[in-house]
Amino acid sequence: MIYLDYSATTMTSREVLDSFVQSSTKYIGNPNSLHKLGVEANNLIAKATSQIANILGVKENEIIYTSGASESNNLALKGIAYKYQNRGKHIITTNFEHSSIYGPLTFLSELGFDVDFVESDDNGIVDLENLKNLIREDTILVSVGAINSEIGIKQPIDEIAKVIKECNNKTFFHVDITQAVGKIKLDLKNVDLASFSAHKFFGIKGIGALIKKENINIEPLIHGGKSTTIYRSGTPTLPLIVSTAKALRLAYEDIDIKYNHVLELNKYLKNELSKIDNIHINSNDLCIPHILNLSVVGIKPETFLHALEEYDVYISTQTACSKSGSHSKSVYALTHDEKIASSSIRISISYITTKDEIDKFIEIFKECKTKLTLA
Amino acid sequence: MEIIKIGAMWCPACLVMKKIWPKIEEDYNVKIKHLDLDFDEEEVKPYNVGDILPVIVIKKDGKEIKRIIGEKNYDSLKKEIDEIL
Repeated sequence: MIYLDYSATTMTSREVLDSFVQSSTKYIGNPNSLHKLGVEANNLIAKATSQIANILGVKENEIIYTSGASESNNLALKGIAYKYQNRGKHIITTNFEHSSIYGPLTFLSELGFDVDFVESDDNGIVDLENLKNLIREDTILVSVGAINSEIGIKQPIDEIAKVIKECNNKTFFHVDITQAVGKIKLDLKNVDLASFSAHKFFGIKGIGALIKKENINIEPLIHGGKSTTIYRSGTPTLPLIVSTAKALRLAYEDIDIKYNHVLELNKYLKNELSKIDNIHINSNDLCIPHILNLSVVGIKPETFLHALEEYDVYISTQTACSKSGSHSKSVYALTHDEKIASSSIRISISYITTKDEIDKFIEIFKECKTKLTLA
Repeated sequence: MEIIKIGAMWCPACLVMKKIWPKIEEDYNVKIKHLDLDFDEEEVKPYNVGDILPVIVIKKDGKEIKRIIGEKNYDSLKKEIDEIL
């Protein structure tokens, strides 16, 4: 099998799974219980949270555990909207976000919130001048994905944060860091809220977090007793939290070496695939190397995906505004070409991907392309 | 004239176009029927919606006379509607 869909999800690493199993069996108490077993469990959560906070450069009390990035995005957007609606009902986002941003924004727009889309340049980067013009006195939130999941566009988070605070220092800045955590170094000092999921960096599916700076209030989506924070009720998921700390620590070990390995593979793959007729590379040099989006012009993405699947090769079609995944709004926003937008696929690489896998993939890619062109 | 708009919660183009609908309703004195691809599955089924959202179906005397697909701004949407009037 050649798996090149790491931006969709990763397999849980053995070490992470071991930490999940060990903490599940050794720490049986409810962390909220007052007895010894509860205290031990609570202490372990505190230790894991401290590790996560250190790696991400935030405070322990700024971490809200959730079920994943979709819940974190919902909590950030709805939580801010409900809490600060008396201050304003204007929210700004981009054309390159995940559906778990558009879903809650559509929901909020039904409740009377006003959503604007900031323009981007030819590389998909947020147009800072346009952002300045859009921010108003009643703008309560700007939400931008650090890395677009479909093309890999990397936004200049610090520059965006600076513009937001200069225009309205009461406007909060939420960043979806789901595709960034474990892949690149992060600096969250100018960010108010940030969402991520553990399963994107070899953690377990079913846990994520919302980073919320301590001076900010949000309305919880799940009310109840205090969990690890007051912002999300439910019994603290000790084994998931402990395994996330492990996954995060492993992801950031030798991060520069891992990044450079992915970069080399990406350059090689891009170069080889560019030589093939009717291939249009959609990811540009400003994108992270972990994601390579390209169009096999004239061939439906799902057809190409299934052709590769026949060879036990797995990639993705990742699209918005398309029910079957054959038209990409993000790729259209970048290329303004309907044919290219209707034939895009996403290849996502990890630090565990090998050169041998990439070579085999290129061979199979060429074979599928020839077969489908002749068909 | 009847206007039916088929969109989805996760569709950014549908969200972008949200501000247009009150103006279109006022311009043509029509109440637009909003259907959601996922939540109104049964009602949407007969329209045989393709890949791209939103889908705007214009009907006259119960018959579909025009279909507009994908994100449009106010001017281009109005122009397309005017063509059939």
